[in-house]
Amino acid sequence: MTAVHHPPAQQAPPRRRSDRRLLQALPYLLPAVVLYLGFLVYPMVDAVRLSFFEWTGFRNDEPVFVGLDNYVRTFTNDPVFYRALTNSVIWVVLSLLIPMLLGLLLALALNRRMVGRNLFRSVFYIPAVFASITVAAMWRWIYNPNVGSLNQLLEAVGLASLQQEWLGNPQIALYSVFVASVWQGVGFSLVLFLAGLQQVPAELVDAARVDGANRWQVFKAVTVPALRPTTAVVTILTIINSLKVYDLVVGMTGGGPAQSTQVLALWSYQQSITNHDFGQGGAVATVLLVVSLCLVVPYLVRTLKAEEH
Amino acid sequence: MSGATILANPSASGGQVAAVPAPPANRPRRDYVGIGLWISLAISALIWALPFVFMFLTSVKTNADVNTAPTWHLPSVWQWVNYADAVETGDLWVTGANSLVVAIIKVPIGLLLAAAAAYALARLRFRFSKLVLAVLVAGSMVPIQVGLGPLFTTMLSLDLLDTKLGLMLPYLAFGVPYQIFMLYGFFRAIPDELEESARLDGASTFRIFWQICLPLAKPALAALFILDFVATWNEYAIAATLLQSQDNWTVPLAVLSFSGQRATEYGPLNAFIIMSAVPVLIVYLLFQRYFVAGAFSGAVKG
Repeated sequence: MTAVHHPPAQQAPPRRRSDRRLLQALPYLLPAVVLYLGFLVYPMVDAVRLSFFEWTGFRNDEPVFVGLDNYVRTFTNDPVFYRALTNSVIWVVLSLLIPMLLGLLLALALNRRMVGRNLFRSVFYIPAVFASITVAAMWRWIYNPNVGSLNQLLEAVGLASLQQEWLGNPQIALYSVFVASVWQGVGFSLVLFLAGLQQVPAELVDAARVDGANRWQVFKAVTVPALRPTTAVVTILTIINSLKVYDLVVGMTGGGPAQSTQVLALWSYQQSITNHDFGQGGAVATVLLVVSLCLVVPYLVRTLKAEEH
Repeated sequence: MSGATILANPSASGGQVAAVPAPPANRPRRDYVGIGLWISLAISALIWALPFVFMFLTSVKTNADVNTAPTWHLPSVWQWVNYADAVETGDLWVTGANSLVVAIIKVPIGLLLAAAAAYALARLRFRFSKLVLAVLVAGSMVPIQVGLGPLFTTMLSLDLLDTKLGLMLPYLAFGVPYQIFMLYGFFRAIPDELEESARLDGASTFRIFWQICLPLAKPALAALFILDFVATWNEYAIAATLLQSQDNWTVPLAVLSFSGQRATEYGPLNAFIIMSAVPVLIVYLLFQRYFVAGAFSGAVKG
């Protein structure tokens, strides 16, 4: 079927040849596929299965089938779940707005030749190679209400009234954690946008300039359309990374204070492992799984279709 | 390059696109947009670097210094011994060795498995090979946390809980699919004629993989090596779930425990945080060339 699009060297093989190819491919494919099925797919499927059971997770304890009870409880009787869901949505929206836009702006600026360009790029990118758990430890220190740098800075510039318990105040803790994630995450979209800008055809830009287009017009008519595939990649990866946020929250607040920084990924884990309720944990995990697949599958279908041509 | 000289007016030379280099310094007309841009970039970069500066200054201070003077003051005594203290109390040699062993075994094996699978999918195209690729990649994009609970029970029943092997297996499962996706594009781009002529010379499928496709993918492999080394070194969620005894901990677990338990020893705490990131910094600085060029140019192509 796919052979139709191939160059003449591989003309439409009959089915038998294709089956032989499968046989040939198996030894190369099998190790990766076995690992994938055993240690990625199986745990995820098992999480879905366990969402229909009640189970503490202890080996000598038998899971009891309870049907949809866990979902009913999660959706009707679990305020933390809604807190986590809301926070995850807030996180996705903020991530699409702030670090992505900042990354684009920085990429546009750093795409010009200038003194110190490589140093600038490194400064913005290096936080991205740090472990999130390390970044969490750094920022917890910066946010320390008594000896942390942020409160000290505010006092030094005469804004002592703005001093806060940055991670202790349920009203703002989520946003404090988010600031750390912006600091860490900008480099990621910066690098992708920089790579995307290499694909902007320079001749088109020059031609538009010669025709008298100003900078904004060139940006709108040439740069933005050429960046469209990059923007699609950055958007989907930003959403997915936002759903995965876990290390930063664990390292800075553990979901508190008063569950105010709880997110779906962490709540699923805490329900299963900490609260010994694999059924409830599985239900939250299933919600997360469904949401993720709804985002990933259309993106992949589009990418692979585009690759065909 | 002639574009820059033709379009000498400041509004054009302030454009956002690579083709226009900044004007040379001796040009009479100053590029005010460029200067303004540079200054705002410098200020942002300074803000971005501040957390590192604070970290470092605190890491060489005594507790008395930390409590009495603002973070940005230089230490009254340079307390380098904080680093030695941190290594000892945080057991950095043990956790560092654990992380290194896991990364050094897992990363090359993972790349080899990914390359083999990508080769099968891209060059030995069989029926449904694209579907296999899509399923592999889709799974790898789902948050790990979905399967963490069951992963724990699986490892428990396999008696692999709290072992390096038990950690590396899920690392491979979660790392390999994305690498397959990246290498797939690379292998697809190899011209069919190259493979055909090798086949006419009697080369086996394995030889074509090993001696033609793999060497051609070197830049991508180098970039993926760095990405995967950094990701493996930094991984926290799976390690925290599966590793229990302190002797088996990897570095991220030690960081969290250190910053939780010894949060009042500010100097050693910050020294520990800095040291935990040294290996990834070295890897990044050594390979940043490949990193940007190789890993991401493939990712953003339509």
